[in-house]
Amino acid sequence: MTAPDQIGSVTPVRRRPYGLLLVATPVLLVAWLVIWPIISAVIQTAFVTTPDGGSAVSLETYSFFFSDGYSLSNLSMTLWTTGVCAALLLVVCLPIALYLRFSDSKVAAYVQGLAIFPMFVPSIILSFAFIRVLGPNGTVDLLLNSVGLPHIRSPYLTPWGPVIGLVWDNIPLTVLILLSGLGNVSNQAVEAARDVGAGKLALLWHIILPRISNSILVAISFAVLGIFSAFTLPYILGPAAPEMMGPFMQRTFRELLEPKTAITQAVVTFGFCIVFGLFYVRSVAKNRAA
Amino acid sequence: MSVLKIKDVSKIFPNGTTAVDSFSLDVADGELVCLLGPSGSGKSTLLRMVGGFETPTSGLMTIDGEDITRVPPEKRPTGMVFQSHALWTHMNVFKNLAFGLKLRKVPADEIKRRVEGVLELVGLGGYGTRSVTQLSGGQQQRVALARSLVLEPKILLLDEPFASLDQHLRERLREEVRDIQQRLKITTLFVTHGQDEALSMADRIVVMRDGKTEQIDRPDVVYREPQTPFVAGFIGTMNLIEGVVSNGVFSKAGYATPLPVSDGPVTLAVRPESLDLSAVSQGSQGKVHRVTDYGTHGMVDLELLDGTRVKAMVPHPDLFKPGQGVTLAPKAIAAYRDGRVIHRTGVVATTAHPALVDA
Ligand SMILES: Nc1ncnc2c1ncn2[C@@H]1O[C@H](COP(=O)(O)OP(=O)(O)O)[C@@H](O)[C@H]1O
Ligand SMILES: [Mg+2]
Repeated sequence: MTAPDQIGSVTPVRRRPYGLLLVATPVLLVAWLVIWPIISAVIQTAFVTTPDGGSAVSLETYSFFFSDGYSLSNLSMTLWTTGVCAALLLVVCLPIALYLRFSDSKVAAYVQGLAIFPMFVPSIILSFAFIRVLGPNGTVDLLLNSVGLPHIRSPYLTPWGPVIGLVWDNIPLTVLILLSGLGNVSNQAVEAARDVGAGKLALLWHIILPRISNSILVAISFAVLGIFSAFTLPYILGPAAPEMMGPFMQRTFRELLEPKTAITQAVVTFGFCIVFGLFYVRSVAKNRAA
Repeated sequence: MSVLKIKDVSKIFPNGTTAVDSFSLDVADGELVCLLGPSGSGKSTLLRMVGGFETPTSGLMTIDGEDITRVPPEKRPTGMVFQSHALWTHMNVFKNLAFGLKLRKVPADEIKRRVEGVLELVGLGGYGTRSVTQLSGGQQQRVALARSLVLEPKILLLDEPFASLDQHLRERLREEVRDIQQRLKITTLFVTHGQDEALSMADRIVVMRDGKTEQIDRPDVVYREPQTPFVAGFIGTMNLIEGVVSNGVFSKAGYATPLPVSDGPVTLAVRPESLDLSAVSQGSQGKVHRVTDYGTHGMVDLELLDGTRVKAMVPHPDLFKPGQGVTLAPKAIAAYRDGRVIHRTGVVATTAHPALVDA
């Protein structure tokens, strides 16, 4: 800064556009890659070509989607899978996170490693591992047969296939988010609760859960967003019909060659995801305010 | 009527640290005992064992004769006040206090009555609906104290509850806690590493070092008749001079004083207020290094001929100048050998702990 007079006169004019430019790049990218496809998808599905060549506003494709039994059963299948996965994730991950937070044994480090491990396994590999282990004539089956027990009813190609895969896939993120929430619960707050007479259940219910309710909301929103529009796991592990929205869209587009129907399905999926997203935004905002 | 007995309790952590080593203590009904010691001396570990948060490796603890050694904290008749961060921030003040009572299925109107009574007692009447995060540090610790008191525990445990507060507030809360404790006549174990806190609050002080007891006595006795050089050096200001006795005379680098003990190495202990100084021009035993005037009195830092530092309290600091030669005349001394006191003379009945002014 050798010439203050020059800088003093130049900066107010020059710096402002630079700053705007920096912000503009990501904004434009988001607009181009996210906002525009959404708008265009909504526009494409909201207009029909009239016989005389013009176009008119029509919600025909949506009314088809919401009156078509197959589409609806796919949607409810997706909602069911998402709900069951979210519930199972909580049931599985909360104890793991509680153990990791409050145990001071050396085993905890290994458990944490194990819990995070699924993050490094691509879902395609996970799918085939699943088939090898739980599929017909998989490891579990062979083991049972070798000791003279009957075949298992494999979850492969049933609605439970994607559920098991998706839960496994989402354990790391859920555990990590819950664990970070539990980091805010101080040891002394927990010990003070035990001191006034709180047993394990009262401690969990009155002290720990209220303190991590936000983290639970965030963890569930994250998991639900991913699961609702999942593709690979439901495609490989799930039943042919009804199917989850991900494989459904892909099949409508590729095999039935009905792009407009596929886009409609995408917009509906997006609509649900936005509701979950709003949950997430709300809980983050609440967190900030607190 | 609650009596706490701790007998031969030890705690060895899994990593091999011996935090508490065969510790024994009886706390009488309504008594306030301070555990005093430097950081790492095992005070918190001992308190946490009494509260049930750590299990002793060996030993026995009883409250009113009932063995509580392995009883979990939620079933113990003890109440603990932690250093900080122990309030439940998702509950307001009233709910923090009411939680324990609700767990005990106390009827709602009685909960209300008891909570309000205790809030009044700790000087927070009408604060029930406040969020605990809106309170100052001192108010938060009052709430923490009230939360324990409202359950009427047999033994109250406090682990450096004022450590995170500023000096002024600490002194005020110290008095308040002492008042409340005496009013409720509640048996109390108080952990601190601050000697002034222990001296001003305790009925008895337990000086701890490396998990062991150094001395258990009334505050004035601990101050005037420390049993070990460690206690002597830890409580108040004490000059500890290492020297040798031969033929009944202690000597150290030109300084000599009669000391009727057997020959051998000795640690001589003299409080600054028990050490008279005279300015001399010849035959000096030491040299003034610095003079500090505190208004009510002065403190002279002096050096013996070999550089050993000694402090002396003087009524007229203006009589001494840096570099000046002085002679020393101790009014009361103690002598230690092998960590035990072997001789003590002229216990002076001084006013309350004057050496604490600069502590
Ligand atoms: N959970 C623990 N595991 C291992 N060592 C511990 C644990 N808690 C305390 N210690 C050790 O025990 C000793 C006494 O600690 P503590 O009771 O906290 O001392 P104080 O409260 O007097 O400062 C220290 O050396 C400390 O490092
Ligand atoms: Mg401590």
